[in-house]
Amino acid sequence: MADAGNPFPFNESSVFPWLKTAADMWLNMAKTIPPDSDTTLKTQTDVQNRFTRQLETSLNLFKSFSRMMNEPESASATANTMNALPEIFLKMAGSGFEAAMQIQNHLMEKAARIGKRTEAYNFDNLDQEVFRALSEVYEKELRQYLKIPPLGLTRFYQERFNEMLDKHNLFETTLAEFLSILYLPMEKSFNVLQEKLKQRTEEGNIPHDMKESYAMWLKILEGHYMNLFKSKEYTEALHRTLNKLEDFLIAKNEAMRDFLQLLPVVTQKDMDEMYKEFHLLKKRVKALEKKAGISPNTLTVVK
Amino acid sequence: MTETKIPLDLILERMAEDAEKARQRASRASDVLLGELHYEIGSTPYEIVYEEDRVRLKHYLRNEEAENKPKTPLLVVYALINRETMLDLQPDRSVVKTFLQEGIDLYMVDWGYPTSKDRFLTIDDHVNGYMDNIVDFLRRKHGVPKINLMGICMGGTFCVIYSALHPEKIKNLITTVTPTNFDTDKGLLHVWMKDVDTDRMVRTFGNIPGDLMNFGFLLLNPARLMIDKYVGFMENMDNRDFVENFVRMERWIFDSPDVPGETFRQFVEDGYKNNLLIQSKMFVGEKRVDLKKITMPLLNFFGEYDHLVPPEACNQLTGAVGSADARDVCLETGHIGIYVSSRFQRQFAPRIVQWLKERDTVDKVETAPAQEMPAMSQEAPMKRPSVRKKPAIRKTGTKRKSPAKEKFMPAAAARKDKRALIQKIAEAI
Repeated sequence: MADAGNPFPFNESSVFPWLKTAADMWLNMAKTIPPDSDTTLKTQTDVQNRFTRQLETSLNLFKSFSRMMNEPESASATANTMNALPEIFLKMAGSGFEAAMQIQNHLMEKAARIGKRTEAYNFDNLDQEVFRALSEVYEKELRQYLKIPPLGLTRFYQERFNEMLDKHNLFETTLAEFLSILYLPMEKSFNVLQEKLKQRTEEGNIPHDMKESYAMWLKILEGHYMNLFKSKEYTEALHRTLNKLEDFLIAKNEAMRDFLQLLPVVTQKDMDEMYKEFHLLKKRVKALEKKAGISPNTLTVVK
Repeated sequence: MTETKIPLDLILERMAEDAEKARQRASRASDVLLGELHYEIGSTPYEIVYEEDRVRLKHYLRNEEAENKPKTPLLVVYALINRETMLDLQPDRSVVKTFLQEGIDLYMVDWGYPTSKDRFLTIDDHVNGYMDNIVDFLRRKHGVPKINLMGICMGGTFCVIYSALHPEKIKNLITTVTPTNFDTDKGLLHVWMKDVDTDRMVRTFGNIPGDLMNFGFLLLNPARLMIDKYVGFMENMDNRDFVENFVRMERWIFDSPDVPGETFRQFVEDGYKNNLLIQSKMFVGEKRVDLKKITMPLLNFFGEYDHLVPPEACNQLTGAVGSADARDVCLETGHIGIYVSSRFQRQFAPRIVQWLKERDTVDKVETAPAQEMPAMSQEAPMKRPSVRKKPAIRKTGTKRKSPAKEKFMPAAAARKDKRALIQKIAEAI
């Protein structure tokens, strides 16, 4: 029954006759299709037969549904459900909004933690700490999103793609740190040069031409680089960068292989396996040739 | 008023002069750079006499008029990093030319450019495979049981391994800037390589890219190799000779073949990480490399200021081999300066020639008994490839020098001409 207060009353008197008419029309139409008629062409495939059978089944289900809906109890229940729909929608929207708020809160919390993480570092030593902070922020707060387990048939492909993105981010962060370390001697050498120039200016012994200043700066720079290169920190940063580059390249190759498998081309893995077999085979042939006294010289020979 | 101690007028005057000079230089440089430049390297004519996979053997045509020519052929084995063209960089600084003028019958291994299919090649494949086949080819060709062998850098390490495994085929051994003792912290490369994850590198790259290694070498001295070098170029780019030589050097430096992955792995693991070679504990092709089996005369060159292969990496070899005639020669230069620096053109190659001649005359060239020669039943005669136009080879007499001092002291001051920069670059590498 329609509720007077409901702005969207459900009118079962108009819906059910329509439902019945529609079901009858589709059933009659289906009956006109000869299922296994001799007149059908021999080219008719099993697929078509399967389609006919499927249609028939669906229409029977539709017919039952229509018949069931004609029952007064069903009609009343349906009407009640339809009238309650706005409320259901409101509840669903409420739940969705709540979930969205939770996610947002979670993100805000993470953002706050990012702030806390960076606060923990002493930015007097900005050159290195800032990159470590960045790296930690990524690894602890953002990386998890790429680590959410993918589901379904394509889960492995998604996983490898996410892995590639993850390794790329890590490599970028490490590279930035490495480049900043590499730039450090430049920065320091300019500072030292300025000090020296200041000192010489005070002594009235300023370099007379650019070449002299350049030579002075270069010597300072070279000294700083030598000191840097011998430091443990530099060696570690170098290896870290190299390792992250390798991680990224491996991940990239694996993700690329997934794409390449869709194309009619061989992958790196296929080729490597073939190269290895080829190498071993060649070694055996060469050993046999040596035993047989055949020259390995493949230079074009005069017959 | 007190007079300032800083001659500002002089400084400003010089700045104005410099600006004018720079303008004139830029104008002349455009003529040079837009004009015809000759910067080819490795221009001495040769013929290819042997080819196996990517590896080729170059044979240079010697001066047959030279006095007291050594009769035993010399095989030069270069490293797998960069190219052997370094020995023939430019006409007036060519180790190859000096050898030929002195009548050395010179062969040089050209390792070629490894491709992906070469990634599984090991040190064994290079030493007991390609090198041994080439040595056998030369012994057969010249009818001698032994040849002279000279190695450069990593190629020298290969020669040491080869001479220990096949001492019966080598008459005299010359090693130049050859790492054999890797347990030193003097060279940055030795420090950095100790922690390199070779498995991961090989897995990632297959063959180790030449560009990656070059980047590593540039990082060894960025102030000189990435800044000063090019500042020097800008200052001299109006000088045609300078530009040509500079570009030759650039072409050589950045002509870097990849290194086969498995060879790199073994070289780093057995060398840089475990230092097995100098202890005679390294295994190549399932055979132990016993340095005591190196009983032939040995001449070992290295550079005092070499930061790639420091003296400490080279100077233990002579004490570790079984030879009674082993000598170290330390030159006051860098890794490449030995070969291309004008200061050492008269100190390096002529000295090797002299050393070889002394040993060739003492021990006359041996003719191999038939049973000692490797039999190659199906060896076919070589097709003579087209030989490039021969340059006129200057007839020179053999330089008789007093026995080499253990450490060469160069002239007090090098000439400060346009060549100084190229020399500086060569010595910085």
